[in-house]
Amino acid sequence: MPDFTDNLKPRYDGTMTLQAERDASAINVNELANHLLSRDGFLERQEKVLRVLSKEKLFKKDQQMNLSRPERYHLGLARAKAIVRITRREGWDHEDYKMCEYLNDEMSPYHLHMTMFVTTVREQGSEEQKKYWMPKILDYSIIGCYAQSELGHGSNVRGLETIAKWDPVKQEFEIHSPYLTASKWWNGAMGRTATHAIVVAQLLLPTRDNPTKYEGFGPQTFIVPIRHAESHQPFKGIAVGDIGPKYGYASMDNGYMLFDHYRVPKSAMLSRYAEVSDETGVLKRHGHTAVVYGSLTFVRGQIIMHARLVLARAVTVAVRYCAVRRQFRDRDSKSDLDEEMKVLDYPTVQIRILPLLATTFALHYTGEMMYSLYHKSRETIEKGDFGPLAELHSASSGLKSLCTMLAADGIETCRRAMGGHGFGGGSGLVGINADYLSKPTVEGDNWMITQQVAAYLIKKMTSAVKNPTAPPTDPTDELFQFYLKNRDHRIPQNVVLSADINDQAIVDVFQWRAADLSFRAYEARVVEKKSWTKLMIQLHTLSRAYSEQILVTTFHNSFNNTTSTLSSPAPAVLRTCFRLYSLYTLDQFASSFTLTTAASANSIYALPDAILDLMADLRPHAVKLVDAWSIPDWLLESALGRSDGKVYEELFDMAHRRNPLNRTTFNPDWRSEEIVLGSGDAGHGLLAKL
Amino acid sequence: MAPTPAWVKKLEPSGPQGHELLAAERAKSNVPVEKLQELLFTKKVIDQKQKVLDVLKSEKVFDKSQNYFAGRTERFETALARAKRLRNLKLKHNWTLDEFRTASELISEPGPYGLHESMFLITLNEQGTPEQRDEFLVKANDYKIIGCYAQTELGHGSNVRGLETTATWDSQDKTFIIHSPHLTASKWWIGSLGRTANYAVVMAQLIVDGKSHGPHPFVVQIRDLKTHEPLENVHVGDIGPKFGYNTMDNGFLLFNKYKVPHISMLARFSRVNPDTNQYVRQGSPSLIYGTLTWVRSTIVMQAGSVLARGVTIATRYSAIRRQFQDRDAPASEVGETPVLNYTMVQIRLLPLLAATFALHFTGKSMMNLYSENQKKMNAKHENANSSRGAGPEETQSGSDILADLHATSCGLKALSSTIAAEGLEVCRRACGGHGYSSFSGIGPWYSDYLPTTTWEGDNYMLTQQVARYLLKSARAVIAGSAPSNDTTAILTSFRSRASIGCAFDILGSSSDLVAAFAWRASFLTFEALKHRDEQGKAWNDLLVDFYRLSKAHSQYMVVKNFYTALQSPETRGAVDQNTLAVLHSLFRLYALHTLEQEGSEFYASGACSKHQISLTRTTTVMALLAEIRPHAIRLVDAWGFDDWVLDSSLGRYDGKVYEDMFYRASELNPLNRITVDPYPDSDVLFRRVEGEGVRSKL
Ligand SMILES: Cc1cc2nc3c(=O)[nH]c(=O)nc-3n(C[C@H](O)[C@H](O)[C@H](O)COP(=O)(O)OP(=O)(O)OC[C@H]3O[C@@H](n4cnc5c(N)ncnc54)[C@H](O)[C@@H]3O)c2cc1C
Ligand SMILES: Cc1cc2nc3c(=O)[nH]c(=O)nc-3n(C[C@H](O)[C@H](O)[C@H](O)COP(=O)(O)OP(=O)(O)OC[C@H]3O[C@@H](n4cnc5c(N)ncnc54)[C@H](O)[C@@H]3O)c2cc1C
Repeated sequence: MPDFTDNLKPRYDGTMTLQAERDASAINVNELANHLLSRDGFLERQEKVLRVLSKEKLFKKDQQMNLSRPERYHLGLARAKAIVRITRREGWDHEDYKMCEYLNDEMSPYHLHMTMFVTTVREQGSEEQKKYWMPKILDYSIIGCYAQSELGHGSNVRGLETIAKWDPVKQEFEIHSPYLTASKWWNGAMGRTATHAIVVAQLLLPTRDNPTKYEGFGPQTFIVPIRHAESHQPFKGIAVGDIGPKYGYASMDNGYMLFDHYRVPKSAMLSRYAEVSDETGVLKRHGHTAVVYGSLTFVRGQIIMHARLVLARAVTVAVRYCAVRRQFRDRDSKSDLDEEMKVLDYPTVQIRILPLLATTFALHYTGEMMYSLYHKSRETIEKGDFGPLAELHSASSGLKSLCTMLAADGIETCRRAMGGHGFGGGSGLVGINADYLSKPTVEGDNWMITQQVAAYLIKKMTSAVKNPTAPPTDPTDELFQFYLKNRDHRIPQNVVLSADINDQAIVDVFQWRAADLSFRAYEARVVEKKSWTKLMIQLHTLSRAYSEQILVTTFHNSFNNTTSTLSSPAPAVLRTCFRLYSLYTLDQFASSFTLTTAASANSIYALPDAILDLMADLRPHAVKLVDAWSIPDWLLESALGRSDGKVYEELFDMAHRRNPLNRTTFNPDWRSEEIVLGSGDAGHGLLAKL
Repeated sequence: MAPTPAWVKKLEPSGPQGHELLAAERAKSNVPVEKLQELLFTKKVIDQKQKVLDVLKSEKVFDKSQNYFAGRTERFETALARAKRLRNLKLKHNWTLDEFRTASELISEPGPYGLHESMFLITLNEQGTPEQRDEFLVKANDYKIIGCYAQTELGHGSNVRGLETTATWDSQDKTFIIHSPHLTASKWWIGSLGRTANYAVVMAQLIVDGKSHGPHPFVVQIRDLKTHEPLENVHVGDIGPKFGYNTMDNGFLLFNKYKVPHISMLARFSRVNPDTNQYVRQGSPSLIYGTLTWVRSTIVMQAGSVLARGVTIATRYSAIRRQFQDRDAPASEVGETPVLNYTMVQIRLLPLLAATFALHFTGKSMMNLYSENQKKMNAKHENANSSRGAGPEETQSGSDILADLHATSCGLKALSSTIAAEGLEVCRRACGGHGYSSFSGIGPWYSDYLPTTTWEGDNYMLTQQVARYLLKSARAVIAGSAPSNDTTAILTSFRSRASIGCAFDILGSSSDLVAAFAWRASFLTFEALKHRDEQGKAWNDLLVDFYRLSKAHSQYMVVKNFYTALQSPETRGAVDQNTLAVLHSLFRLYALHTLEQEGSEFYASGACSKHQISLTRTTTVMALLAEIRPHAIRLVDAWGFDDWVLDSSLGRYDGKVYEDMFYRASELNPLNRITVDPYPDSDVLFRRVEGEGVRSKL
């Protein structure tokens, strides 16, 4: 309906503002984008898939936030189906499928089917089991989920309570939930969607001497049909459902499930690595389970690689909006005619956003490093050499914790930096915030898993102390040996000296701090035998310091290889990013760097000014740098972050023309119980729903 | 969904039951929960809360069980029904304003009458002339008209002077023409405006005879009182779904040369004379200044209890959640360890537990200071009216304290709402996977609280006001012309020792610990002053320094107020020695944990040594965690949250965490009434929906 608002324009033109920003930097966006995202044809794929998805009405996102939970799931399922069909129709491969999920940007009810479910069968099934199940999985005639966590246990997998008892007479397993806390819980796609589940349960076998007594063999995986193929009702002996609304993940049916002496055949137990023998009923183990361990590492690796794109998205929105948003004239301005400042020019806005912009690149190089490390180690492991696995596992745990925390907190920092509009649905950060906040918890709680890193480092330090001249097998060995050789005559390094920044010293102080904290942890635990629980906080700090060292070192290494080939000014700007990320981190944990004798006190005092200077250097390139991350507007789904800067037009359009609440006129008078004006309904309909 | 099978109903959680675990926790400590609760709130307030709560619980419309499932429109509908009911109850039970506020707090969701009942009424009352109050306030008090407060625009929030809506005086017909010249002039974010209000206080640039006089408030009718449709040339609606606050209809509003009568401009402090067409200022709006201070002090005080909800939930849950055996547990201990025993969990939760008390006492002392001062000011006002004129010191002391209070309330608002917001998220994450469920009760509460970091002064912006005030005080101290208040006192003391240094025994003496905070704040003040006045740095280049400075000063205020509260006879008389000792540990934990986090500033200012910081980190904080741990459950109990208010499976008083999670998932969850067709080849999505159908709205 046309009205007088149709011709109104914003006071300042957002499109021109962003154009001016882009004109002010000489960075070649296409080149940088290719540098960042060309692996596996990411950019072309993104474009190809986007072209198709953005035409489908079903994938329009602008009503999502108004929907109730059941409606969100309804929509989620519809989209999940559509993605499978489109993929088939277009003849796309699995990478294309994953791109659909990425651009669709919500947890699909099929997500677990194509990740944990299929991976577990592929990796833990015997040849025969794979032959039977894989075709059914790949053509979706069954739909699976992964049921490990329970109401009572998530982190502690050994503590799971669901049991699978072997019945030697019938040659079957009896799956059972002895307690309420044994209920499977949180398992994605299980609530309403799945027909099958991988169930992780404690294997119990009758003892040889007394068949009524059972012995436990730890958690094993079983593939279990849970719902009838036709009616989709749960089988008898299974109680299964959705666990209800969550902080995010509205489109996903995370589920609960209980078993009442539910029987499955012998073939249900995935038996590549362990099998109950027919004749004797004992557990036969074969092969090395390290490969399974490896796939956990892989999942963490994926999360690490993905973190950059998540953070880049938040930073894209914040940088563009804060370049368009104007508020106040400069306090020191002399003229009334000066325009208001762009809020991105205020240092208190910069200090929240620009270090995060730098962080996206730090995450990038580490993500790439993990990718190649994983693939290299994978080959070695396939050949039966499990040597690199420990280092890989430890690095992936520490980095998973650090990177997901940086990204999760970063989204929120960007959102808050945008003032009131950051809180609105038009920010585009509401959904991503809610969904991404699961990441610090899943695949290893971010606090809990840092203990694994610390345990590994303590072990490494112990052997380095015992044998300081053994040939080093990895960078950690080298670092620890260097540390032990030099710790008695350490001179704290000058990272910044009279406005000069020393990049080599930056790398050095991060590494030294990590080594020193490792040594202290080793002393406390191994020498002084302090209790593990007492040390936990220290261990957490250690893991973080160690992982930060990886980020800084890897970023720095990139200058020797790839980045130097970029055209000017990109190499210099990336170096500024490196410095900003590093110095900002240094400043945040300043006392940790002094207490470990890593950095000199003088250079610590110089940090705040150095950081301000770096931000001033980076500022003119901010818009182009986020452009290089190539996040399509369609994925951003953000009025504030639009690449054309039409912030206010879009906000208004969303509120005015696309907001269903405005289609209802309410009766605001408290004397009348009627809620919707003219409905004559004295609130009874509403009460019935409560 | 099929009814829950009998075998499921029979199941219980494994191991020691939640209620047993909490009982054991409560038995470990002798902190007197009721006494402590009375110290926090007073007996009168607690009883009043209980009375109101009983009423609310008995009303079906306040039933919360479907809150987490509903869509935006339903949530708003329910909220409107609740707001109406609440108004009815107020009359029925003859509630005082305090009791009414208590009820809103217990319901814990923003409602569509929210801005009517706060800013609309306050503004009419404070800025209206007697005539205007007769015209508008009487009707507003009676809800004959329902209003909101429309200041922020699409393009401007922080910078009120930059507002674009204009009100042009038309000397011909003696009206104001309210107009939105740009899209960015649209009012935006205005609570209660989107669907509910029929009136608004609109802030607009007053233009008289071509000259602009800055933003002024106008009372404007926007909707028809019968049809509730917008009036002609008024364009109004709801701005859409948000991160939180979805029960509130925050709105937008545009005017197309809309005429309002002369009486619309609230004229207590300035007006347009209709006869001469002159703009006239009268009196000073310092009372408004006072209201702002009061609002911010309230935010400080509430921050404590806002955070306490999250801490209550997370602390209770982590006493029940058991995961892994302690690595060093003796062989005799077979069970798993409650995660609250892991220092990794303690370091996240216990300093926040300490912060809840720190913020509460700080807010309370600010409120006291405010009302004492207000009394003084009023007395002065009367004196002034009796034309005797107050002595110069008199005038000074009242307004100096107000200035001090105003500045410190800005800084404290920023610090406390940041601590509360971020603390809630820490609590949520500390609960692991179950923290992510809505049934944790933390997530929804957090997302409704978040705007507090933005409104009433964006938390970063406010720090500039604090810095400006501190610089001004420092200049006065140097010039020897400083008025006497706490801020100038610490600056003066710092200056007198600046050349001889200090030696605070931060680990041995609590008053030294407070002094170390004062020292660091003063140090940063004079550093900033040097940058601005001696080195002539640009204001904007100093914003990060100002931010740090304000934070340092506010942290000092919190530490000082907490300490003072513990020394006060009021506290000492209320609880026994043991409890005082526990409170004292909380004080030290809050202060030392903060000090450790900000270590390098303390060290750089010379307030303490590197060695002291190192000891704090490795030894003292660890010891304090261990001291407080046994009392954790009773300390959160003292906050006295009713289960109905928490609405959380994890935070239940009786510890029935798992039973409640399961009950809500399997019995209350509407999704489980739906049977789907899961296969991609089929177009059918929902095959069967028990009971009501799902409306398709795509
Ligand atoms: C959105 C979402 C989707 C999920 N999807 C699936 C799925 O598809 N399939 C599946 O099987 N599971 C799934 N999960 C479950 C997930 O794997 C677990 O929630 C996760 O492993 C964390 O475990 P927890 O919840 O038991 O946390 P807890 O271990 O209970 O953690 C609680 C707190 O205790 C601390 N803590 C625990 N142990 C220790 C220790 N030893 N030392 C110090 N601190 C400790 C933690 O840091 C945390 O603060 C999902 C969870 C979520 C949130
Ligand atoms: C849920 C909600 C309800 C609300 N209800 C109402 C209501 O009922 N009535 C009403 O009138 N308003 C209301 N508001 C609006 C609220 O008051 C404003 O959002 C708030 O004042 C912040 O202003 P802004 O959004 O313009 O932020 P901006 O000023 O645009 O801030 C954006 C960023 O720029 C920074 N910045 C801005 N200026 C400077 C500077 N000079 N120096 C350094 N940094 C700067 C800020 O720190 C922030 O990071 C509401 C807002 C919300 C979120």
